[in-house]
Amino acid sequence: MIGLEERTCRSTDLAAELERVGGRLMLLFVTAADPGRELCAIVRVGDRTLRVRAPLAGRSYPAVTPRVPAAHWFEREIHDLWGNVPEGHPRLEPLVRHAPEQGELALPANGEMSAEHRGAERLSGPGVFVFPYGPVRSGVFEAAQFLVQTGGEDVAYCAQRLFFKRRGAERRICEVPRELAVLVAERVSGTSSVAHALAFSHAVEALSETDVPPRAQAIRRILAELERMYNHVEVAVRECEDASLAVAQAQFAALKERLHRLAGEIVGNRFLRGAVVPGGVRIDVDPGTASATSDALREWERDYRRVLSVLLQTDSFLDRLVSAGPLSAHDARDFACVGPVARGSGIDLDTRREEPYDGYGEFPVARHADGDAMARMEVRFQEIDSSLELIRAALGSLVGGPVRRPVGRFIREEALGAAESARGETLYWLEAGDGDTLRRCKLRAASFVNYGIFNRVFDAQVLTDFSFIEHSLGLSPAGCDG
Amino acid sequence: MIRWFLRGVSHRRLTTRFPRSPEPAPAGFRARAVLDPEAASLDSARCAEVCLPGALSVDRDRLRLDAGRCIGCGLCVEACGDGSVAIDPGYELAATSRSRLMVGEDAREADIVPSALGPAFRRSMHIRHVDAGSDGAVEQEIAALLGPYYDMQRLGLFFTASPRHADVLLVTGPVTGPMEQPLRRAYEAMPEPRVVIAAGTDACSGSIWTEPEVRGGVDRVLPVDVYIPGDPPSPIALLHGLLLAAGRVPEAAPPRRPRVAEDVAHTPVGGSR
Repeated sequence: MIGLEERTCRSTDLAAELERVGGRLMLLFVTAADPGRELCAIVRVGDRTLRVRAPLAGRSYPAVTPRVPAAHWFEREIHDLWGNVPEGHPRLEPLVRHAPEQGELALPANGEMSAEHRGAERLSGPGVFVFPYGPVRSGVFEAAQFLVQTGGEDVAYCAQRLFFKRRGAERRICEVPRELAVLVAERVSGTSSVAHALAFSHAVEALSETDVPPRAQAIRRILAELERMYNHVEVAVRECEDASLAVAQAQFAALKERLHRLAGEIVGNRFLRGAVVPGGVRIDVDPGTASATSDALREWERDYRRVLSVLLQTDSFLDRLVSAGPLSAHDARDFACVGPVARGSGIDLDTRREEPYDGYGEFPVARHADGDAMARMEVRFQEIDSSLELIRAALGSLVGGPVRRPVGRFIREEALGAAESARGETLYWLEAGDGDTLRRCKLRAASFVNYGIFNRVFDAQVLTDFSFIEHSLGLSPAGCDG
Repeated sequence: MIRWFLRGVSHRRLTTRFPRSPEPAPAGFRARAVLDPEAASLDSARCAEVCLPGALSVDRDRLRLDAGRCIGCGLCVEACGDGSVAIDPGYELAATSRSRLMVGEDAREADIVPSALGPAFRRSMHIRHVDAGSDGAVEQEIAALLGPYYDMQRLGLFFTASPRHADVLLVTGPVTGPMEQPLRRAYEAMPEPRVVIAAGTDACSGSIWTEPEVRGGVDRVLPVDVYIPGDPPSPIALLHGLLLAAGRVPEAAPPRRPRVAEDVAHTPVGGSR
């Protein structure tokens, strides 16, 4: 359960207040309390989590983004969905809602971002053109669009357009019966089903003050780490494909498939759905399954190490990743990046340790200082090691007892739930309504913040590195779009 | 490079023999619900209440099942408790019509339909994938078809970058508003004959998603030839659907549960093996 320290300020002072407290902006959104609508910012400062409330006096308020750049997408989202105008926002164009008048090839204006946060400049002149890529892209990819301005090889400017996939998950979570809402959360980002179900369940458990039994916590850790492993291996598959290493790609794909089969045998779903519910888990891991899982992972680890050791000695792979898509620690901090993207730029940040949940104890947080595609990859490889260790420990700590407790009435009015997905911090803010319903859900997948820096990692990069850089960020358009 | 070459040639064969020999799903795999309408007790409303995507519904006091909406969560098995509903672990679930995926009073059961592409495409089909708002997992299952376990190219199935070269449009997701136009344009760019496959429960019916953000399934926008339910559909289920579109395999039986003896009717759901 995340304890929030409350602060209140006027909406005209919100930008100054957030700049003053510093820290990492986790969320900025409008709460359901209407009339008397208010802005709410959740900030992580040191080892505390602050909630700054700012009642809105009118339709507009002074924008936070000029002082706190991490607010840039949050404020555009608020503008799109709630109509409140952040005055002085440097780029107040539609983000979440696609406006029909926004042409397919429209390149966003650079706006008035301070020089420090502007990134690459747009160019003009002969030979410079905009290459629109997506939303239907070559190959099997999720729908997203990238507008790349180039003179041929150097990427002058890259703009990302998302939210083609917005399905209205926040609305659905509030509409459906309370005990079925976790099924919606599981399907926001289908490759991070466990993390989304966990973050949502943590919020519901906080609202109802439900304790999760230790056995359920151990099972949750096993599932969450298994999910992290197949997502990290997926990034390796994609990077090998980009480097045209056919054998490495096939062997990492085989390793990934083995994890999905293991998931299918433990849970009955290859993406671990239908297991995590508020109050515990819906499945049990009997001793036979536990030892079979342990054996399967031991064999898996042996084969994985063999492939990885060859990969890390393959120059044609390393040459493409080292120094590609650099993200400075300064940018990662300013734009509040999370997950392997932040850790690959040297930021010490992991929800499992910041706000420990489900019995996560001490474990080494992988970090790398270089900030390039290779650094992000190495963070993932280190995390696969720690995931294997955490699964082994959890399989050993499967104490007796129930796997689920009933979730009672909502005792508190609002709560924040968090979980660390393979892509980083996943958040669910829930507000309870009458009769144990939910009246507001604000979800924020890791990809929502990490997509915010997509255009920045293309500074001085070339077009042929596009896919290496994109895949090294390991983003989920479905999660971002919600 | 020589090390990769040696690793490649020294590795044993992993590829499935499907469809030549069947590939069974693990015992507790939750593929789709199956219904025995005769076994349903009087209180079928309770059973349908827990079904979030509305796969189970009550029509004139009788339970109906639409496997094209089923996400395999298994909550109905616990709620019904009378053995009328079970979760089937099968992989081969694709059908050529929505009614074929239904069990209920007025469900029509379609006959086996020959491929709309005709016999010329039996051994070579080019596929263009379009994501119309999926959750992202089904894309990874589709990508797995190119991997060593499934290797769809051995069956003459290929992905193509351009819809102009495509015989099959493989659509995922419930069709969100912003993706409707790109989806139509991809379809219109395809030469005839062409086939549309809806891959995944959300593409088949919209699943748990509703208006106004989503259109509620690919067939609201385009004529669909093959439905592959599944949340997400497993790689074998996708292969089955693709081969069904080529007219090479029979379609799935309707999700009707065979009569079972009383004592085995209460099988637990999920992975507890």
